[in-house]
Amino acid sequence: MLTTDAVLSVGLNHYLFLSALLFSVGMMTVLLRRNLIVMLMGIELMLNAVNLSFVAFSHYTQNLNGQIMVFFVMTVAAAEAGVGLALAVNVFKKFKEINIQQFEKLKG
Amino acid sequence: MGPGEHHCHSGVYSLDAIGIGVDMQEAILFYILGSLAVVCSLGVLLSKNPVSSALYLALTMVGLSFVFVGLDAFFIGMVQLAVYAGAVMVLIVMVVMLFDLKKEEDSFSPGFFGNGLKVILGGFMVGAIASVIAYSTEMILSAPKITQAEPVDMSVKALARLLFTDYVVAFEILGVLLLLVAIGAVALSRIPGGTHADD
Repeated sequence: MLTTDAVLSVGLNHYLFLSALLFSVGMMTVLLRRNLIVMLMGIELMLNAVNLSFVAFSHYTQNLNGQIMVFFVMTVAAAEAGVGLALAVNVFKKFKEINIQQFEKLKG
Repeated sequence: MGPGEHHCHSGVYSLDAIGIGVDMQEAILFYILGSLAVVCSLGVLLSKNPVSSALYLALTMVGLSFVFVGLDAFFIGMVQLAVYAGAVMVLIVMVVMLFDLKKEEDSFSPGFFGNGLKVILGGFMVGAIASVIAYSTEMILSAPKITQAEPVDMSVKALARLLFTDYVVAFEILGVLLLLVAIGAVALSRIPGGTHADD
């Protein structure tokens, strides 16, 4: 099934596979790590994977709306990183470490 | 003018002359940048030091931005380079430096069995997405609307025109969101205590 033509002529499928791989690695990072900052990095990775599939669809269907969506996703991701890091600073202030397990002690 | 005769007259950077067509060039670029992105994202997942995780993430972002440029999304590629690989990474690295997180023994969540289950489920997810992609993209791309008679304007100018006409309300709301986030981040960081928690 895997012919040389399918490997050498890169199409939409290839970009979507790359996007799926990156998304899954980002998801693993969120699931497996306990450091809050590294988990935030995993979220950034997942958002980037989604951006990649947006751009790939935009290129292969010749439609600019996908690139607009990427622009919005990037802005929201930057905002999310800002708030997430502010929360991380708060958790570090209280507990001197930023393990995700400390979050359950944040009551009130 | 077909895709193959694009660079023929320039001669300076023409790879067609030595038998590497445009398809092949795209494939080489894709495989180099794609493997860079995947390897560096695995570095984010596996390295125990948060600083090297952050630097691997920056490399992933750089690789992806060049993939975007390869897909003719020049503006998005440059914004990716400036915003992600620049601003967000500086933010993350600064916070990591602030915390002094070098001694990280239990950086992975505990439980060999649970983690194995998570990895297996992630593998299942890759497989599911891959099979869905393999079965559905033919259908998507062969839809009749795709084959337009005249080429669509995909330039940065057209992108800007679309952003400031059809999407102008969303753009303004995004400005409000950024303002709220700035205020919220300052408010969160001003809770008494300081980074040196004994104050």
